[in-house]
Amino acid sequence: MTARLRLVTLDEGCEPALLAHAVSYLGPGHGGLTELEPQSLRAHWQRYGARPERRPRPPGEDLIDALHKIALTGRGGGHFPTAAKWQAIRAATGPRPLVVANGAEGEPLSRKDSALLELRPHLILDGLACTAEAVDAAEAVVWLHESDHLARSAVSRALAERQSHVHEVPIRIALGPDRYLSGESSAVVRGVGGGPALPAFRPVPGPSRSPDGRPTLVHNVETLARIALAARGEDAVSSALVSVSSGDTIVVLELPDTCSVQDAVRRALGGTDPQAVLLGGYGGSWLSWEAAAGATLSEPQLRAGGLSLGAGVIAALLPGQCGIARVAQIARYLAESSARQCGPCLFGLDAIADSLHRLAKGGRRHRHEVTRLTGFLAEVRGRGACGHPDGAVRMVASALETFGADGQAHLDGRCVHEATTGRGRG
Amino acid sequence: MAEHQTAAPRQRLRLDPIACEGVGICAHLAADLVRVDSWGYPILTTDPLGRRTVRQARAAVTACPHRALFIQDDV
Repeated sequence: MTARLRLVTLDEGCEPALLAHAVSYLGPGHGGLTELEPQSLRAHWQRYGARPERRPRPPGEDLIDALHKIALTGRGGGHFPTAAKWQAIRAATGPRPLVVANGAEGEPLSRKDSALLELRPHLILDGLACTAEAVDAAEAVVWLHESDHLARSAVSRALAERQSHVHEVPIRIALGPDRYLSGESSAVVRGVGGGPALPAFRPVPGPSRSPDGRPTLVHNVETLARIALAARGEDAVSSALVSVSSGDTIVVLELPDTCSVQDAVRRALGGTDPQAVLLGGYGGSWLSWEAAAGATLSEPQLRAGGLSLGAGVIAALLPGQCGIARVAQIARYLAESSARQCGPCLFGLDAIADSLHRLAKGGRRHRHEVTRLTGFLAEVRGRGACGHPDGAVRMVASALETFGADGQAHLDGRCVHEATTGRGRG
Repeated sequence: MAEHQTAAPRQRLRLDPIACEGVGICAHLAADLVRVDSWGYPILTTDPLGRRTVRQARAAVTACPHRALFIQDDV
């Protein structure tokens, strides 16, 4: 999907910390939009002030305390505590570490990292420089998809601007293949070190090492932007950066994290309420619109209920769309996106996608399909080197709960949404 | 509940799923620890190894042509 930016001004209840406006990425055929510019170094300084200088000694000690206090967690989807990652990398032995800004946004329904890279490159680079100083890294890398020309040009321009004005660790851009899993953190570690950008198996916990043995710290670009704000004394993470989508429209918004999921969807998309939402993207969980009623954008609160926004993704399934057909389509995408390294992922995700397609097709012939699918899910769960198969299993399992009645209707030979899918039978 | 203290740490049989090619010798040599899934890949028990099963586990580790199995001490 070639995306263009459109400016959408929303009457925000709070001052947005990261983005000044909500932005929307629209699919092809929605032309006539306003292009936004990456923030220049001068504008960046005017908006946020200069990055505080490295403090005498020990470097980064104040900032790690600040990150701990605001309980910043990774915004690439994993929500691992940032301060704990810093501690682990500082405790690592061997050569000086490498720090990576991960801008390879693999999730097809997410555009918040693109929005930040294209609009706030200096905020990301500030966070990257702060992190590199705090962990005494010799080098920093911005990791991008090779076809992401907009992000690449925004970051290159920003780096060129900084060269003459900012004294910091050397930062280079590295490009990975345009694959879903190129942004998976162990794949990033291998990729920036010159290896294949494929997930790795890690038998013991602890800091990842690049193929040449350097301890490597990977942070999502939004995490780095938030580190840059924390370095300037922002004492709480009170906003959430989310991509809300329906069909080929994706809207990126920064909202207070007290905002409800339902409000976020209404503000982004307007129109009729959806029948269900997918929280956390392709590896997330489906919830019926009614079940989403109590949920807010606050990650700790979502986690307490067994949910997560992952990389800040909310996708709406509109009334009249067939949930089973949509899930089958996503499962096929995830099967095709497998790194094809682990048997249970390579064969299991295919089997799951095939099973969902039979379910979507429906008919009495497939009346045992739900049982079969449930068996596949149990077999695949927990058996990949990375989290990819587990995400797929989670998404499909939640869909069976949310669209269970739809699935049964398919097996009885009718799709309740046959007008839109064209798959029902009479 | 009080844990019984033993000198040796508990051990588990583990698998590198990337190295594994689904040959399946492990399922024969360590039948109490390994079963195979619908596609012929091993599913390992997560239980700690006992005196009898540790022998099975060692046999499976040695026999795996892809060196995908290993025994790991609990941390």
